[in-house]
Amino acid sequence: MYQLKICHLYPDILNLYGDRGNIICMQKRMAWRGIQAEVTEVSVGDPLNYDDYDIFFIGGGQDFEQEVLLKDLADGKAKAITQAVNEEKVFLAICGGYQMLGNYYKTWDGKECEFVGALDLYTVGAKERMIGNYMYQCDAADDGIVVVGFENHSGKTYLSDKVRPMGKVLAGSGNNGEDGTEGARYKNVFATYSHGPLLPKNPKLADLILKTALKRRYPDIVLEELDDTFENNAHDYMVQRLSAK
Amino acid sequence: MSIRTFLSVTSCKLSRFILRKLGKGGTNVPGRVALAIDPHVLGKLAKGVTTIIVTGTNGKTTTSRMIERSLEESGYRFFANKSGANMLSGITAEFAMHSGLGGKNKYPYALIECDEAAFKTVSKYVDAKCVVVTNVFRDQLDRYGEVTHTLNSILTGIKNSPNAVVCINADDSLSVSMKDEIPNKVVFYGVETEIYKNRVEEVSDAPYCIKCKTEYVYDYVTYGHLGGFRCPNCGYHRPQTEVSVEKVLESTPDSSTILLNLNGSEYQATINLPGGYNIYNATATAAAGYVLGIKNETIIDALSSFECGFGRMEKFTVNGTDIRMILIKNPAGCNQVLNFLSNNTTPSLFVVALNDRFADGTDISWIWDVDFEKLNQISDKLTEIWVTGRRADDMAMRFKYAGIPVNKIKVMKDYEQLIDAATKQQAPVYMMPTYTAMLDIREIFSKNYGFKEFWE
Repeated sequence: MYQLKICHLYPDILNLYGDRGNIICMQKRMAWRGIQAEVTEVSVGDPLNYDDYDIFFIGGGQDFEQEVLLKDLADGKAKAITQAVNEEKVFLAICGGYQMLGNYYKTWDGKECEFVGALDLYTVGAKERMIGNYMYQCDAADDGIVVVGFENHSGKTYLSDKVRPMGKVLAGSGNNGEDGTEGARYKNVFATYSHGPLLPKNPKLADLILKTALKRRYPDIVLEELDDTFENNAHDYMVQRLSAK
Repeated sequence: MSIRTFLSVTSCKLSRFILRKLGKGGTNVPGRVALAIDPHVLGKLAKGVTTIIVTGTNGKTTTSRMIERSLEESGYRFFANKSGANMLSGITAEFAMHSGLGGKNKYPYALIECDEAAFKTVSKYVDAKCVVVTNVFRDQLDRYGEVTHTLNSILTGIKNSPNAVVCINADDSLSVSMKDEIPNKVVFYGVETEIYKNRVEEVSDAPYCIKCKTEYVYDYVTYGHLGGFRCPNCGYHRPQTEVSVEKVLESTPDSSTILLNLNGSEYQATINLPGGYNIYNATATAAAGYVLGIKNETIIDALSSFECGFGRMEKFTVNGTDIRMILIKNPAGCNQVLNFLSNNTTPSLFVVALNDRFADGTDISWIWDVDFEKLNQISDKLTEIWVTGRRADDMAMRFKYAGIPVNKIKVMKDYEQLIDAATKQQAPVYMMPTYTAMLDIREIFSKNYGFKEFWE
């Protein structure tokens, strides 16, 4: 039986806005295909043996709890996460989790927090929040998937040329509201501002992430098609609404 | 009296009159008109009116209705913003409607349900004698931001209310933290014991100590992050209560019976609404009654005789079918509704109406934080689930991923068809709409089935 191990990082801190919908989605889409998924929660103080896992999920969080997190990252997890990224483990990082993988976060009043540094990008806090439904298109290497989601962030993220964006903004703000980019792709990292239930209403992206992880273990695996009527209806409704604007 | 106040009040009354003639609620627009003419008109209208304010994330409306009943029974002359318009404009309209054209209010008391974010502005203009904070949970984050942001809004509001005694939920570590920041007298109320045998699995909105960021230890949890919390590091802990529930004696589909300790005296009280969250609302009401000097017996009577309506287990009987309407708006509230429904013993039809307009919260991600998976445990009590509203497709998908069989999930976007079909079912209906979906559905109830409009 095929099997994947998912590591949910900081589920008790980085769990804003229904991020757990992505874990539920990955589990179900594997279960429906007879693939076993095991989810392990790893939080503050827990050891992280990164080689035990295939997929890492990091959600978004509130500023208040960030300090707890920074200390724990510095105590060893930052190094483990960077190694996992470099060894091409699959990551899905969202909003705060996305920012965390970068080099640093600078608040609008100049305070700098050092982050993991696994991806060469940085985030600068702005006073105005970028909030709303939005939409972007992944490039051809990721099948040109059109992703719909909801963004809610005050941080503006800027990518170095070592990291490619996850997509091109079709509606909304994206990374910084300036350069038309959204999210980051680096090795097998998928990072995006689209918070909450990103995967359920973007079933093609969900399957791309699962396939990327499964192929590393089982190179010949073929993912069975699922009936995605509900998923596609939800996806297409938002595409239509955003296209009409 | 200033000309400006006169114009402001007159236009407010006139626009309300016209809107009602047109069959609209007119709960906010008249207030906006009044504020456009005189931005500070609320200060003039609220002058000399002793005000009781109810704010917090969940339970504002129900708590207000319970307090209202105890005020009525005590013979207070007061008015209240009953229609749920709890922002600055709605509250201004309510004050204007109860004032003379010169701006002098006709009532000595006002009972005002106030949105948490609006509280910091409203509090500048009204003289609150009592502020009741129900609780602080994650709410529509696109509007309110993080919970600590909501907490700061409430704190600012209290700081603007120097004459108020503040009733704070002792079981909510977020609300309790305000105590050290305010000079006001505080009355703590709470529940001393667990209230549910089976609870949904839910994430805590406040797992770490707000003072020192160490994980809390709990002696017991009532729901969400509420309960007997203490911090093992800095010692921050649930405070002593003056008003508390000692024990839940009985829970039925229609009511709860509790043992209530009111400043040292014990009473058995029946609450005229089911659900653990209404036990908290009743306790908050008792705390407010205690602050206002209402007789204990009157408070107990009010809890068993108040009527809530407006989407709080409100019952509509159409063609012999009972439809209960329960407003949903955030994970904590919705999880409490599920706790209640899990105890349902008659096979029923569930309907969820999910909208994403501004008043609903434009971000519907929260439906993934609700433990709908719990419904699998009562699948034999669930005939079908119908979904409607602007985001019906997202809701259908959520139920699919919760493990509900796809053939039990129906997307029905047309409200009239849905209500018509629902009333032809041979099963009771639990209808759970978000705010604007509820307004839309009520409109059909009143148009097609002759129920009263909500402002009547």
